[in-house]
Formats: sequence, C-alpha cells, structure tokens
Amino acid sequence: MIENWKLEDKEFNSRLMIGSALYPSPEIMAKSIKASGSQIVTVALRRQSATNLEGGNQFWEIIKELGVTVLPNTAGCHTAKEAITTAMMARELFDVNWIKLEVIGNQYNLQPDPFALVEATKVLIDEGFRVLPYMTDDLVLAQKLADLGCTTLMPWGSPIGSGRGLMNPYNLKVIRKQFPNLNLIVDAGIGKPSDAIEAMELGYDGVLLNSAVALAQEPIKMAEAFKYAIYAGRLSYEAGAMQKRDMASPSTPTVGTPFWHQFS
Amino acid sequence: MKISINGEIKEFNKDILTIKEVLDEMGYKKGIAVALNETFVLKTKYKETKIKDGDRLDILSPIQGG
Repeated sequence: MIENWKLEDKEFNSRLMIGSALYPSPEIMAKSIKASGSQIVTVALRRQSATNLEGGNQFWEIIKELGVTVLPNTAGCHTAKEAITTAMMARELFDVNWIKLEVIGNQYNLQPDPFALVEATKVLIDEGFRVLPYMTDDLVLAQKLADLGCTTLMPWGSPIGSGRGLMNPYNLKVIRKQFPNLNLIVDAGIGKPSDAIEAMELGYDGVLLNSAVALAQEPIKMAEAFKYAIYAGRLSYEAGAMQKRDMASPSTPTVGTPFWHQFS
Repeated sequence: MKISINGEIKEFNKDILTIKEVLDEMGYKKGIAVALNETFVLKTKYKETKIKDGDRLDILSPIQGG
C-alpha cells in the first residue's frame, strides 16, 4: 500500500497525471482516465467560436463529470507573454491557481524554451500562481526555477508524443539527487509502462503522460497498465532494490544439496 | 469599426463597443475567457472595457490537452 502524496496544496493517492487529448473518442477518453486511476487531468484552452459552444462545451462537461482535479496547461505558447496570458485565462476559467507552464522553443522537437520559461515563471509566481514548469532535464534550469519558488518541477523524459521513454536517465537522476525535497514529475516522452516504472524507480514523485495511453491500440487497457506500473514503480523505489553484483550467488540454500553434486 | 475576433476580422456598426457587447452580439454565453490585444481581461471587467477599431480579441474555451 502506498501512502497519499502531496502535490502543491493538494493530496492525491495516484501518482499518475494524465492528458485528455488524442483519444479515439470522448467516451474512450473518459473510460481511459477512469481506468488509469489518475486524479489529475491536464486540459488546455483554445479559441472557439460561439457556434461551437452552442449547447455547452461537451468536452468540459465530460471532464467535470469525472470528478478529477484539472491541471490546465499553456500548450502551444511560444513566448513568455503568451504563456502568462493563457495562464491567467486558465485560472479564471478553471478556478485553479496552478498551471502546467509550457513555452515551446523549437517546433521540431517541441523543446521547452528555458529562458522564456524562467521569465514567465517569475511573473506568474508574483501573480500568486503555483507554477509546474514543463522543462528540459537541465540541472541549472532546475535550480533557477526552484530559486524562483517552484516546488514542483516537470522535466521531460523525451520530446512530447515521441514515446521514446527516458532519453537521459542520468540527468533525471542528478536532478532528483540535487532536489530531494521538491516534487519531481517526468512529463512527456513516456511510451510504455516500463518507461514509467523506470521514472518512478529513479525516485520521481509522479509521471505525466498522454500519448502513451491515447495512441495505444487499446487505450483503456493501457491506462490500466500504467496505473499498475506507476504503483509498482513507486513501491519498488520505497522498498529499495538490491545492489547489482558481478558474480552469481545461489538463491537456493546450498546446505543439504543432494548427494550427486558431491561428485561434480 | 473592424476588430479581430479569434483571428477573423468582424465589422460592427458602432464606433465604440464594450467586450460584453461584442460577446453578446457574437452569441457567447459562459465557459470562456477573454484576452484583449494579448492581455487577459477579468470577467468582471467585460462591461467597462471598451474596444476600438483594430483591436484584437481572443475568446478561449476548454479543450483537450496533454
């Protein structure tokens, strides 16, 4: 049994944060989120016409019915100003003061722009936000963001939607070691449940993913697979794995070995 | 006057409008957040915030996100 954990000012049991995009249908999205056991769902904001919103926003109604905590993002923003404005709009619309801060710096790999990220973080923290920055796995950047007051950092595993897993476990490990008291979430790049286990075994507090479930052949089943993987990864971290050894060491007791081994 | 709403140019017969008047005219009701010229405007300020020719209004609503 794993204990509840605190992320910012809220308490959760599941350490999986899940995205709401790219599912084959709204129904599969809702069922996948339920199957994942996740209590935190990421959402976004986009321009919408009044015609589109006639009769209400269907997507938003489904999310509300799930009874989850929403974490709005600033996806698609390319400057600090865009991200700040989007965060403020999200705070009013979703009535939450936390934001997954995303400022894209490169269109090819959607790599976050560290400079704009720091700039936007500073402004938003001054405005009373709890900022969860989506960042590269850069130790110095982590330090700058922590110095500004971030208590959660979300380094990437690999580029968004790439499913490449943890590109650089060493960097992630160093960030974990240097910031034992911050909440660290691997955000983006997770492809398989085994990637999520690896992140959790590094001591990360949680994993945020979307494509790995939404683009699986059976998203609902994959959501459940991630639920157990993250649970197992956390238990494994808490339990502490044995040290690797170069030589074999028998696991079956050698005392009382049957007689025929005496002649070998 | 002409203003840009979500990237599309719209023409209005009046010279001065408030955000609330534009939203009503366009048929927006609830579940939206608004930025005027890339700056967020609080919902409570819609009635008093005036829009002039050439302004840009962005009207956002929740969508799927990762």
